[in-house]
Amino acid sequence: MPSAGNAASPAHSASVEPYAFVARVFAAQQALPKAIQAEQRLIEAIAAQEGGLSRRHKDRLFRAVASAWGHDCRRVTEPDTSCDESRNDSALLAFAQKLARYALLVSKHEVEALQRAGFDDREILETVQTIALGQMLCTLANALCPDDERQPGSEIASAPSSFAANVEYTETPGPYLQTRAFTGSPTYPLFRQQFGFVPNVFADQMLRPDVVEAEAEVLQQVLIGEDVLTRIQKENILLAISAANASTYFVAVHGQILTVLGLPNEDSDQVVQGEYPPTMPAADVALLKEIRKLALPAAVSPGKFDPGALQAHGFTEVQIVEAVTMAALTNFLNTLQFGLGATPDFPPRRIFHPKDLHRSAAPSRLTFDETQPEDADVPVVERVQNGDRDAFEDLVRRHSRRVFSTLAGILGSTDDARDATQEVFLKAFENISKFEGRSKFSTWLISVAINTGTDLLRQRRPSESLDEVADDEGFRPRQIQSWAENPEQLLATSERTDLVREAVLRLPPKYRTAVLLRDINQLSTDEAAAALGLSIPALKARLLRGRLMLRESLAPHFIRSGNRSFNAQLR
Amino acid sequence: MLSCAEFLAEFGDYLDGAAGPELRAKLEAHLHECKACQVIVDSTRKTIRIVTDSDSFTLPADKVEPIVTDVMARIRQKNL
Repeated sequence: MPSAGNAASPAHSASVEPYAFVARVFAAQQALPKAIQAEQRLIEAIAAQEGGLSRRHKDRLFRAVASAWGHDCRRVTEPDTSCDESRNDSALLAFAQKLARYALLVSKHEVEALQRAGFDDREILETVQTIALGQMLCTLANALCPDDERQPGSEIASAPSSFAANVEYTETPGPYLQTRAFTGSPTYPLFRQQFGFVPNVFADQMLRPDVVEAEAEVLQQVLIGEDVLTRIQKENILLAISAANASTYFVAVHGQILTVLGLPNEDSDQVVQGEYPPTMPAADVALLKEIRKLALPAAVSPGKFDPGALQAHGFTEVQIVEAVTMAALTNFLNTLQFGLGATPDFPPRRIFHPKDLHRSAAPSRLTFDETQPEDADVPVVERVQNGDRDAFEDLVRRHSRRVFSTLAGILGSTDDARDATQEVFLKAFENISKFEGRSKFSTWLISVAINTGTDLLRQRRPSESLDEVADDEGFRPRQIQSWAENPEQLLATSERTDLVREAVLRLPPKYRTAVLLRDINQLSTDEAAAALGLSIPALKARLLRGRLMLRESLAPHFIRSGNRSFNAQLR
Repeated sequence: MLSCAEFLAEFGDYLDGAAGPELRAKLEAHLHECKACQVIVDSTRKTIRIVTDSDSFTLPADKVEPIVTDVMARIRQKNL
C-alpha cells in the first residue's frame, strides 16, 4: 500500500541515502500529497526491497545518475571505498553512466557486457529500475530544489552539439532481457482497463512483478485523474519530454493516446517538433516549453526550468507540482524503456536517432548560438599549435564523419570524398597556426572542406561552381498534394537513402551546401553561415530554397495515395 | 493577410521554430485560411525529417579509423 503522509520517512531516506535532497523534494510537493505517495511507492518497490542487487550497488547507481545531473553526492555520503573495485562494479558503473547520461545509445551490447560480468537478468532489470528511479528523483530535485548539492558552477551536462554527429551507435532489437507471460499478473486487468493493452515496457519487467504493480498504481494515481491538470495536458507533457529525450517508444505511445483522446495527429507532431499548434492555448504552450527543460541530461536543455514563468501564465502551485511530477515520471519511464529495449506497441510515426538529441533543441538554437558555448576542441587545438602533433589524431577522429559527409554531398562520389577528407585534414594541420578561435574549430574545418570541395568540383567540371549557378528567381512550388502521414514507411530504407542522395546532388550547389550543413550535418544557422562566408539572411534564404526544391523532388514518392490525397492551389 | 508568395518567402524561420511572435502570428493567420500552404509546411517538415534521418552521405563507422591512420601517417611522413 502507498505510504500515507507527505514527508520522507526515515525508511525512504535510507533507501535513497545518496540523495539527501529527497526530504526537501517531498516538502516542496506538499500541495500534492498523491505525488509524494506515488514517489514513495516506487522508492519502496525499487530501492527499499532487497532483491538480487545489493544496497552498495544501488547506492553506486544513484551516485552515477546524480553525477549526470551535476549533483554532488559526496557532500552527503562519501563513496564506498571499503570494497575493492571488482570487475562487476566497473561494468555496472559503465552501464549506469551510459544509461544515465546517453540513454538513447544503450543497446543490447551494453546489456550483454553486464551479463558477461556475471549479472543475471533479474539483477540487470533491477539496475535499470534503480537508474530510472534515480532519474525521476533527480528531475524532481532539479525542478523543485534547484540549488541543492549542485556542484558549484556546474550545469546539467547536456550533450555537446557535436556529440550526436560523432557518436557511434548501433541499433539492436529488443527486448534485451528474458521476459515472462504477463496475462497471469494481478496488474493485467489494471493495464487493460487503463490503456486497453499492456505496454511492452511493463511486460518486459515481469522478473520483478512487484515493481510493475507499484508502477501501475503510480500511473493510476498521478496520470489518470483530472483534478489538477487535464489528461490532455498531462499526455502532452509526457509527449513533449519523450520527444526531447528522443524516445521513439514513448512518442508513439502518447501520440496514440492523444489520438484516442481526439487530438489531430498534426497537433501531436508539432508538439514532438517542439512547436505548438496554433489552436493550443498560450498557457499550455508556455507549460510545454517550460517543462521541456526537465528532459533527461542527454537532451540539450533549452535553459533552466522557471516555475515563475508558469505562475505568470496563471498556473497554480499544485498544477506546477503536478506538471513537474509528470516530467519526472516521463524520465523514469523513458529510462526504463531505453535500458530494457522494449519494442514499440504501435508502428511509430517518427523514429528517433541520436542526432535528434541535438535537433530537439532547435527552437533554442539561436539562444544556444548567442551564448557562444565553449568549444570543446580548443584545448586539443592548442596542444597541436604548441607542437603536439599526435594530438591532431583526436581532431581527425572527432570530425572525419562531418567533413566526409560535406564533401560527399559536394562531390557525389564516395571515393573522391574519402580522398578529399584526407586533403582537408592535411590542409587544416598545415594551417592550424592560423586558427585564432574566432569561430568554433569545427566551423573553421568545415569551411576548409567547403573550399576544398569547391576547388575539386571546379577542376572536374569547370562549368559548375558553388557560386555561378543562375538563380532561378521564378521558383514556385508545383507539387501541392498532401503527403502520406508516415512517408518513411512508403519506401525501404535503402531506397530512401538513394532517393535523398540523388535529390540532394541534383540541387544547384549553392542550395546544396546550405542543406548539407544545416539538415545533414546539423550545424546551427550561425555556424553554417560562418562556414559558407554568408550573412545569416542569405544562408536562410538558400536553405529554404534548397528545402523546397528537395520537397519537389521527393513529393512524387510520398504523396498520399487514393482519395485521401488533397490537391490545393496557391493563391 | 499575407499572400501565398509572401508566406513562402517568410516561413523558413517558422520551420526551424525560430520565428518571433509577430511573424509567427502573421504566418499562422495565413495558414488558418490556406490549405495549400498547410500542405507545403507539412510536406517540407517531412522532407527535412527524411533528409536529416537518411544516411545518404554518412561515412560508415568502419571507415573512420582508416582515415585517421592515413592522415596521421601522411603528417608524420611529411614531417609536417
